[in-house]
Amino acid sequence: MSSLGGVRQLLRHPLRSVLSILGIAVASAMLLDMVMLSGGIEVSFAKLLLSRGWQVRVSPKGTLPFDTEATMPGATTLLAALRADASVAQAGPVLGTAVYARPSWKPDSLVALFGYGIEPGAQALYEVTAGTDLRRGDQDGVLVGDVVASRLRVQPGDTLVVVGRLDPQLAASGIERRLVVRGVVRWLYDYRGQPSIGTVLPVMQSLAKSRVQDPASVMMVRLKDSVSTADAVARLRAALPAVEVRSVEDLVVNFRERLVYFRQLALILGSVSLVVTVLLIGTLLTITVNERLAEIATLRAIGVQRSSILRQIFLEGMTLVGLGGSIGMVLGLVTARQLDAILTSFPGLPAAFSFFVVRPQEVLIAAAVLFVTGALAGLWPAWLAARAPIAATLRGEAT
Amino acid sequence: MSVLIATDLVKRYQLEAQTVEALRGVSLRIEAGEYVAILGASGSGKSTLLQLLGGIDTPTSGSLEILGTRIDALPDRELTRLRLTKLGFVFQRFHLLPVLTARENVELPMSEAGVKKAERQARARELLAYVGLGHREGHRATQLSGGEMQRVAIARALANAPALLLADEPTGELDAATGADIMALFRRLNADGTTLVVVTHDESLAAEARRVVRMRDGSIVSDERRG
Repeated sequence: MSSLGGVRQLLRHPLRSVLSILGIAVASAMLLDMVMLSGGIEVSFAKLLLSRGWQVRVSPKGTLPFDTEATMPGATTLLAALRADASVAQAGPVLGTAVYARPSWKPDSLVALFGYGIEPGAQALYEVTAGTDLRRGDQDGVLVGDVVASRLRVQPGDTLVVVGRLDPQLAASGIERRLVVRGVVRWLYDYRGQPSIGTVLPVMQSLAKSRVQDPASVMMVRLKDSVSTADAVARLRAALPAVEVRSVEDLVVNFRERLVYFRQLALILGSVSLVVTVLLIGTLLTITVNERLAEIATLRAIGVQRSSILRQIFLEGMTLVGLGGSIGMVLGLVTARQLDAILTSFPGLPAAFSFFVVRPQEVLIAAAVLFVTGALAGLWPAWLAARAPIAATLRGEAT
Repeated sequence: MSVLIATDLVKRYQLEAQTVEALRGVSLRIEAGEYVAILGASGSGKSTLLQLLGGIDTPTSGSLEILGTRIDALPDRELTRLRLTKLGFVFQRFHLLPVLTARENVELPMSEAGVKKAERQARARELLAYVGLGHREGHRATQLSGGEMQRVAIARALANAPALLLADEPTGELDAATGADIMALFRRLNADGTTLVVVTHDESLAAEARRVVRMRDGSIVSDERRG
C-alpha cells in the first residue's frame, strides 16, 4: 500500500467516491456500446453474408441484391455461364417476389407472403429446422418459415394453396398452386416477422408472372477454396458485363457508406462519454486536492517528494477509473443487448443482423481508451497537488 | 558544528499592489542540543522565519546553512530529501493523514526515506511508546484527541532521527492542560539530545526554552539565553 494511504484516501468521502465510480461506469458503458456500434454493423453484415461461405453476388446492373424489384432475364443461361467459370464451385439462383396464400380455415381470403424461388442444394438462404428440404425439380413442394407455419397453421405434410402475383387491373391472379409443405426453415436474411415461403425457381417464376423471361433477382456464387475472391470477381465482371458482380467485401463497403450516420452517431456519443469521464475524474480530483492542500503542503514540508504526491493522486484517479470502468464494461455488454433488440426491430432489417457485436478487441479498445483518458484527466490535478506552494499554503491555512 | 546558520535573511511578499517585508535581515545560529523559542506577536515574522529555517520557503536574500549545507539554492528534490532526513516539523494543526493509523502516520517519513517495513514498524512503535501512545498505534488519526494527534505528529517528526526539530505554534489548537503535556514532552526530547526550535506567541511556552529569541516587525529585538 502506498505510504500516503493508497486507495484508502477514496474512503474519506465514500458517497462521493461511489457516485463518481457510478458516473464513470455509465460513461464507460456508453463508450463500449459506441465502440461496438461503430464496427458491429459491418461485422454482423459480413458474417451474415458469408454465413454459408458464398462469397459473390450477381444482381441486375446498377442495383444491389434485393435492393429493388428489378430482375435479371435468362437465369438458366446466366447460371450456366457462372458454373462454367473455373473459379466457381457452385452457383444458385434466387427469385424474390410477392405471393399470397389462402388460410385453410378461410379460403376466400388471402395472406400476403414473400416468395423465394431457389434451386435446392445450391442455395445459402435457409436452414431446415423441421421436415425435409425440397428435392431438385420438386414442382409440388414448398418450404415455409416458422412465421408462416404459425400464422397459417401448417406443418410438414400439409397442403398450402399459394396464389401468384395479383394483376392490378383484374384484381385477380391467374395462377394458383396447391403445394405440399416439405419442411419448416429459418430464412437467414428475413427481417423479424417476415412471412416467407420457398419453392423451386420455375414454380416461383410461374407465380411471379413477370414480363421478364426466366427471371432471377440474385445469383449467389461460391468460389473454389484456392481462388482469390478479387480475381474471380474481376474475371466474372469481364465475362458478364450485363450484370452487377460484387464480392461480399464490396457489399460491406457499400453498406458501410449507407450507414455512415451510425458511425457518426457512435463517434459523437463515444466522444461525449470520454468528455464526461474526463470531467468527472478531473473535477473529483481537483476538489479532493483543494480540500487536502494543507495536508499536502505538510507532507511536502516533512519531506515527501513531489513525485510521491503526484503518484498518490494519480493512483486515486486510476482507481476510480479502474473500478468504474470494470463495472461499465459489464454494464455496457448488458445495455448492448437491450439496444440491439430495439435497433434490430427496425422494419426491413434481417433478424440475424446485429448492431452490437461483442469482440474482445473492442472491449480492450474501449478499456484502453478509458484508461488513457482517465490517466490524462487525473494528471492535471495531480500535478497541481505536487506543485502546491508549501509556505503559502500553510500561511493560508493558519489565517 | 552549528546545526543551523542563518545570515541576513530577508523575505518580501507581494500582496496585490503592496510589498510586505516579513523579515528584515535576520541572522541566527543554532547549536546542537539547544532549545530555542522564537517569540513574537502575530505578524512579527516568526512563522516566516521558521519556514525559511526549515527550507519550506526561499528567502528573498540572505543565506542559510543546515549541517554545513547551503540550502537556499538547493534544487527542490535535494531540499525535500534534506527536510526528510535532517529536519522534523510539528505544526499547529497536526495534519496527520486521517486514513492512516497512528503507527502508519509515524512510518510515513521512514517509508519515504526507503526504510524497510519491519524496521520502520518497530521504530514507529518505539516512538509512539516514547510519546506515550503505544496503546493507540492501531487507531486512525480521526479517532485520536487533539493532544494525542499532536503527540503522533511529534513522533512522526522524530521518525528519521532529525538533527533539528522545528515546531510552529505546537500548542495553538490545544487546551492549557494538553498544551502543558506537549511542552513537557518537548522538555524531555531536548533533555534526550534533540535540538528544538519552537515558534510561539505564548510567553509561558517560551519560558520552557533555554534561549528566547524575540521578534518584532520582521527583526530580532533580543536573543536571551537562560541558565
